[in-house]
Amino acid sequence: MTLPVTVEGYLPFDGAAGEVVAALIAATLVSVIIMANAAVAGPWAKRKITAAFTDRIAVSKIGPMGLGYIIVDSVRLLSKELIVPEGVDRPAWDLAPLVLASSAILGFAVIPMGNGIHLADPEVGLALVFATASIASLGLVMAGYASNNKYSFLGGLRAVAQNLAYEIPLLLVGFSVVLFSGSLQMSEIVAVQSQTLVSLGPVSIPAWFAFLNPFAFLLFMIANLAEVGRNPFDLPEAGQEIVAGFQTEYSSVYFVLLYLGEFIHIFLGGAIIATIFLGGPAGPVLPGFIWFLIKIWALFLFTQWCRSIVPRVRIDQLIQIGWKGLLVLAFANLFVTAGIVGVLAA
Amino acid sequence: MSEWTAIGALAVIAVLIPLSMMFASWLIRPSVPEQGKRATYESGEIPTGNTYQIRFNIQYYMIALLFVVFDVETIFIIPWTVIFEDAVETVGLVDAFLPMIVFVGTLVIALAWAWRKGAVQWTKSPRAERQRME
Repeated sequence: MTLPVTVEGYLPFDGAAGEVVAALIAATLVSVIIMANAAVAGPWAKRKITAAFTDRIAVSKIGPMGLGYIIVDSVRLLSKELIVPEGVDRPAWDLAPLVLASSAILGFAVIPMGNGIHLADPEVGLALVFATASIASLGLVMAGYASNNKYSFLGGLRAVAQNLAYEIPLLLVGFSVVLFSGSLQMSEIVAVQSQTLVSLGPVSIPAWFAFLNPFAFLLFMIANLAEVGRNPFDLPEAGQEIVAGFQTEYSSVYFVLLYLGEFIHIFLGGAIIATIFLGGPAGPVLPGFIWFLIKIWALFLFTQWCRSIVPRVRIDQLIQIGWKGLLVLAFANLFVTAGIVGVLAA
Repeated sequence: MSEWTAIGALAVIAVLIPLSMMFASWLIRPSVPEQGKRATYESGEIPTGNTYQIRFNIQYYMIALLFVVFDVETIFIIPWTVIFEDAVETVGLVDAFLPMIVFVGTLVIALAWAWRKGAVQWTKSPRAERQRME
């Protein structure tokens, strides 16, 4: 049962109005969960994690463990002056942060978060989440092109080249799990993974697709790093080469929205991995929602870890890894998986 | 309850959140109409030329062209992955698997050809090569 249906049960009225109101309330709840995660990650957790890797303390003065910086930094960034550089392509320049932030939030529509927190469960769930996740590339191009800045332009071009090179392996590997589940519906994908793979005495290992096909899991993790633009694939920003890439000319609330979009995108990538490879919200003892949070935060930590310890690849290496390495491996993975599934089913 | 009502509702909320942030920022931020700071950032130098006229590597075009081919192909692979297991049970492994191998095989041959032609490899422009010689 999805969340809007649960909410509709509590409403005093039903019919079309009840459906729409319930859907809006449920959507607000889901957005609040996403925004809360992004708020903790952006101004606080990211700094703390990077500081731990580089042996520093980072934010610590305001509130317990520096948690007060979440509020302080939000106010600080929102109250900054918005500087509109000369010659920007105005509607596109304003729309780019909106597109980035909105598309990332929309991706969570079909993600099952456990404990009945699941906004919608259409039959095309997996295709929908990949479709919404890749709208972000459009935002990056708009930001890069409209800024009238050479660094932004180069960053935008790099973003396109990178997302084009890694989108195909991402999709091919992502849909190789559909061979096991036989459905694109998220609840079905999660349900198939709850079956028992092997029983080791009292402990039964569930058939999570990461255990069934660790090779696909590894490929997807690499392609996902490129998709969210974190090291070793952070070429669109590449601080040492092109200032800040597509976000060079953005300040104030637009800067916040670009970063918000990026962080929600990292969580969306983590949520996709958790759903299709790590059994969704499944896990022992703790409630499902807690397990979902643990999984997406573990994957967030993984991206920040890579950001701290892995050097950036060059653009020519990026193209070669993507088209010559990952794409070929993704096809191999798809056909070997299909072969195994086919032989077992025949 | 239609699933798409909920997705539409989240789409509305997802646009409203950034808009409300923009509105909040518009309420509290200062406005100092000084023109010097509006110059395009070029590492502190005075900006030269126009961004929209800079020439960039045609490489990006070849990659985009390849992407279109493989993206369309992915669309055909998705329904195949969904029905594959059922299809193996009804029509057998060979009939379910072979057409897709032929279809993808054609495109893999195309990829190999593009690979040999150097489309998925970073090429340096002749001008850059010349400048390196000098």
